[in-house]
Amino acid sequence: MIKVENVTKKYGNFVAVENISFDIEEGEIVGFLGKNGAGKTTTMNMITGYIEPTQGRIEIDGYDMNKKPKKAKKQIGYMPEGVPIYNDLTVKEFVNYMADLKGVKREHKKEEVQKVIKETGLTDVQNTLNRHLSRGYKQRVSMAGALVGNPKVLILDEPTVGLDPQQVKQIRDLIKSLRKNHTVLLSSHILSEVSQICEKVIIIDKGNILAIDTPKNLEDKVSNKNILTVTVEDTKDNINEVVNKIDNIKDIKLISENSDGTKQYTIFAKDDKDIRKEISETFAKNEITILELKKTEATLEDAFLQLINNYSKEDDDKSNKKNKLNEDKQEVIKEIKTKSDKKIIEKQDEEGGKK
Amino acid sequence: MLSVLKKELKTYFLTPIGYVFIGLFLEVSSLIFYIYTYYSGSLNFSYIFYDSAVILTFIIAILTMNMFAGERKNGTDQLIMTSPKSITSIVLGKFFAAMVVVIITEIFSCVYLAIISHFGTPDASTLGTTLLGFILLTMAYISFGELASSITDQPIIAYIITFVFFFGSMYISNLSDIFSTISFMNLYEKFVDGIIPIEETVALVTFTVMCIILTIIILQRRKNLK
Repeated sequence: MIKVENVTKKYGNFVAVENISFDIEEGEIVGFLGKNGAGKTTTMNMITGYIEPTQGRIEIDGYDMNKKPKKAKKQIGYMPEGVPIYNDLTVKEFVNYMADLKGVKREHKKEEVQKVIKETGLTDVQNTLNRHLSRGYKQRVSMAGALVGNPKVLILDEPTVGLDPQQVKQIRDLIKSLRKNHTVLLSSHILSEVSQICEKVIIIDKGNILAIDTPKNLEDKVSNKNILTVTVEDTKDNINEVVNKIDNIKDIKLISENSDGTKQYTIFAKDDKDIRKEISETFAKNEITILELKKTEATLEDAFLQLINNYSKEDDDKSNKKNKLNEDKQEVIKEIKTKSDKKIIEKQDEEGGKK
Repeated sequence: MLSVLKKELKTYFLTPIGYVFIGLFLEVSSLIFYIYTYYSGSLNFSYIFYDSAVILTFIIAILTMNMFAGERKNGTDQLIMTSPKSITSIVLGKFFAAMVVVIITEIFSCVYLAIISHFGTPDASTLGTTLLGFILLTMAYISFGELASSITDQPIIAYIITFVFFFGSMYISNLSDIFSTISFMNLYEKFVDGIIPIEETVALVTFTVMCIILTIIILQRRKNLK
């Protein structure tokens, strides 16, 4: 449904987005993750046709944004960042105007506008001026503007920013309900939200795509198989001796002693091996009762941070290498210059001597 | 184009902009009418219109300054520029909405015509050409105001650019004859004589079309520069 092919956006020498490519299938809800200034909004603006890419191609439902912008834009409902709406219009007037802009036919317009107003929970405020609405309502008005005309693709830039938890939940539920009829690309800073709503995540940093995967796969990639949390009832207090008998355990640390006499430990395995079975069997043999044994679970946040940090490190290494190369180059040039200066002086001295 | 026109017209009258424009225009033109008709006893409607046109130089930017600069300042340009509407239809929609406001103002000022008609018979051909010239002049003013609004993010800057341009063009003609054709008021002056001046008509229409085309080009270019 959305096809982004080798897209680059440059502002002078600054590269905002560098040669990115991804596909979003029909009916998918995809989360766009990245730090501030990572290139999320720039990419979304290019997809919606608000700005043009310096290079590359964007296709919406088979229509090239550059060659057939009218048809491509007709498939899109866009909710820009910062909720820009016309404050001098009422909610109904605004949605009506958006319907007009999207070319909704007059005979269906009234019905369509009312449907969207109802869907976004704006029926009670439909005759209120936008300027008098709270942030949460304004967000919904902007969402209604994106939804009107029943576009196949919805691009939502930070749809829950600045909302209270209840409003966040309402908007989140609304987005989830859109899955049936729309393809959704949303950007967000709230990673838990993305992992709840989205089937796929695109992580972007410094204009480059670092990962495209499901939240589950991304979490699994950074999940540490060799760190376990175990809660035990150890009446004989011989857990350290027992642990020494298991070769694959590197270290054990006491985390807490609970009031019911149980203790919680973190166990570090030597390799990337799953040692849960071994621990259960050995502990049972040594009369240590395991009340809880679990792997340390990674969250999407961990995955996001790890990817971003790895990329920053690689990027730093690259620029360090580049700097080093430049320094070496400068040194060689300096050396050559000194040598040639020396030669000139020697030559001049020789000539002076001859005279 | 019609959807943009309708919305823009609505905005003019939902905000003070439309009322301020109409109010200012009618207030000053009433004063001119009083001076010409009651004070001097003149029944020449064309002169009243000619002097009313001078007012436009000062206040036309009230209508045009927000056209694109205001949208950009509020971020609502994202809504229109990502809609399936072409840039041309957006530019023309906004242009004709401002034209409608000026025409509404003109209809109001026809009260003076009715009063004059009661006391004498105004020359129909002079009246016709004066009105035509006024509309052509308004088109030129609005198209330049729209162009100014497309090059900045600040409505007040758009206002200043528009005002300085027209005010400057009005006074620069006094400096030397070479600059006489630059003055829009000099172009309009020819219409008050009762015949349609071809050269002046072509000049005003060309200027309008050129400004509209430039606005479209600038908005298209901004998509690459943003």
